[in-house]
Amino acid sequence: MKKMLLLVLAFVMIFAAACSNDSDDASDATVDKDGVVTLKVVFKDEGPSNPVAVKYFANLEKALKEDKDLNVKFELVEMPQGNYAEKLNLLLMSGDIPDLIYFQGGDQQIANQDLLEDLTPYIEKSEYIKDIMLPHNEERIKNYPYLLWIKPLDSKTPVIRKDWFENAASSDALMVDPTVENYHTFFKEVVQNADGGKPSYAVTVAGDIAELDTIFKMAFGLNQTWLEQDGSYINSKVSEQEKAKLTFYNQLYEEGLLDPQYLTKQWDTKEEAFYDGDAAVITGTNGKVIDIYNGKMTQVNGADAELVVLPPAKGEYQGFIATDITKESRGLAISSQSKSKDVAFEVLDYLASPEGQVLDRLGFEGEHFNITDSGTELTEKYYNEWYSRFWEPEAFELEKPLVTPLLSEPAQNSRDLANEFYNPDNSFIIPEEFVSKWDAMENIYKDFSADVITGKRPVSEFDDYVKEWNEAGGAEITEYANETIK
Amino acid sequence: MTQKGIFQRIKKDWVIYLMLFPAILYFVIFNVIPIIGMKLAFQDYRVIGDNIWVGLKHFKVLFDSPAFFDVLQNTIIISSMKIIFFFPIPIILSLMINELRNGPFRKYVQSVIYLPHFLSWVVIAGVWISLLSPDSGGVNVIRNFFQLPTLDYMTSKDHIRWVLVFSEMWRSAGWDSIIYLAAIMKISPSLYEAARIDGASTLQQMRFITFPQLLSTVVVVFILNLGFFLNAGFDQVFNMINDSTISKIDILDTYVYRIGILNGQYAYATAASLFKGVIGVVLILSTHFISKRLTGKGVW
Repeated sequence: MKKMLLLVLAFVMIFAAACSNDSDDASDATVDKDGVVTLKVVFKDEGPSNPVAVKYFANLEKALKEDKDLNVKFELVEMPQGNYAEKLNLLLMSGDIPDLIYFQGGDQQIANQDLLEDLTPYIEKSEYIKDIMLPHNEERIKNYPYLLWIKPLDSKTPVIRKDWFENAASSDALMVDPTVENYHTFFKEVVQNADGGKPSYAVTVAGDIAELDTIFKMAFGLNQTWLEQDGSYINSKVSEQEKAKLTFYNQLYEEGLLDPQYLTKQWDTKEEAFYDGDAAVITGTNGKVIDIYNGKMTQVNGADAELVVLPPAKGEYQGFIATDITKESRGLAISSQSKSKDVAFEVLDYLASPEGQVLDRLGFEGEHFNITDSGTELTEKYYNEWYSRFWEPEAFELEKPLVTPLLSEPAQNSRDLANEFYNPDNSFIIPEEFVSKWDAMENIYKDFSADVITGKRPVSEFDDYVKEWNEAGGAEITEYANETIK
Repeated sequence: MTQKGIFQRIKKDWVIYLMLFPAILYFVIFNVIPIIGMKLAFQDYRVIGDNIWVGLKHFKVLFDSPAFFDVLQNTIIISSMKIIFFFPIPIILSLMINELRNGPFRKYVQSVIYLPHFLSWVVIAGVWISLLSPDSGGVNVIRNFFQLPTLDYMTSKDHIRWVLVFSEMWRSAGWDSIIYLAAIMKISPSLYEAARIDGASTLQQMRFITFPQLLSTVVVVFILNLGFFLNAGFDQVFNMINDSTISKIDILDTYVYRIGILNGQYAYATAASLFKGVIGVVLILSTHFISKRLTGKGVW
């Protein structure tokens, strides 16, 4: 008993001792005696152990000195392996806040503590950035002025091997009129044409229906997160259109057109199924990702297997899923604690300049590109490994034009399609007090939709699901949505 | 024991205490010092400036969450299943290994059953997903051979918890049997000798000598395991969960990871961890005292 009391007493004492104030310290960007400004940068995969990142930032230092007479020294932060958002949050919450921070989620908590700089005045005063902002960037920065990510839309687009595409008689009809019915017919024919059991099924996705939604969601009338109905808003996940969409997905599943094991697929096994020929269609982020898919597919299955980009299904609307414009989901931020905010932004602005764009978009001269009499030639190494770390505006002009395009034809097609079907969403940032309810509602939806698609529950139970969803917080958040959406 | 007695004992067995020192250091650094951080459960964390005391705010949010009790229920069910169905396996395994007399074969068996412990749950999840795959998985091939219908275990609400239990068994049974084997090793051979002279069979020796001698170790391990009752296996669930099974195997740890860690709500995550810790302490202490009263054996 005495030991027990001692144990409890020790615990209480430790706890009481713990209740003292902590002191925190913020980052302190320094200017040395030679006037060199040190900027601490944290960026996913761009730590000091990555030789390409070290060289990139060394080249950037030189370019800033030559072109802008700016003495900057970059200090890269090594991030541990694992979920970047999680590790970054731990770094920032420890009080170690770099000047320039790349976020891939988890930024709101930091912004809520006033640790991120409002970039609006910087953008207004910028020399280059204000001119390269894309429409969705402008909307997002208005709603959430802490993150900047000037990149093309990240919509995913469906792709299929060209030889399989041309082998299907229904492919022409699909391209001319990509209705849900024509898609269904095309999927069926692709599987019927299977040679040696390949493909096994028409389409696969990575673990959930988000990628399938990029093809079909809009066609079913689900063009926004919050749909207007009789003068008020309801969440698309509890709408009649959603019910129709799930019914169709269930049909795809029952007919063996949707991968029977889509729920246990990860991004890597999804891609493997595509290259191996088990899946005829997958979706990938337009642009560079489609470029990689195209490269790998032709490498594995020959030039005839070059990819064809499929259009989004057409119905009540046509397009890939609506683009969230509440905020950038990833991007660069400047610490409000930084002593060199202006310099940090100058770096970002320089990367939007013609000189900065050459460095960021093309890589290292002599390695990723060569300047010849015929123009700017991109090397194999560029196509295999280079990607822009910062900005990718639509306009990109060089003194000596590119001999070969930045993207392969399928990748460029996917990008053009994504831009053509840009459709801003009316979603909003979920307030902190609703986060756990939103999570519960999302799980109820995931559970029900997976069960309906795989035939474990009939779609006739949709009303029961809606009731459960509303009870988990849906009714409350819908009320909030109706007050929030302008 | 008096202060003087403790020091005399340390002086006498200083080599043993020296060997114990790294373990004590480990627990102080990783288990005792973090208790200081538990105050965060009652604060709103500020990176710059002082944290704000909010009392039980995070606990209220936690208990008011619509998903919390579902998640807690899943955690309790999965943990109970693991304790009931998995806990005896390493004991049985150690008893079986102990009966193996062939040295090289015994070593081979031990190596094979220890091996899965060194694989990460990412790899194990991949192996089990392939093994249980409805179209090419070994389990369904066997089922089909016996004219049984194909089952998709990984997406089945009825089977997924069993998948967790059996995959845990496959991974940890061998490793967890080491402690029992060590306990068996220190049983005096003269007891077996005497039993053999009295005509005891192998099974009787196991029943009347090995198992009773093993009981105190079993009790201690069981009580200590109860301290981790609400740790139903984050890595395992995280790698095996999918949309179809989320309602059955979403546990406290995965929930806290989503809401707390990924959203940077560390105070909320700390409140959940403290809740788990308190439950663990209560379970350990109550089981210890019950065990003391019933069997005279406990953790101390």
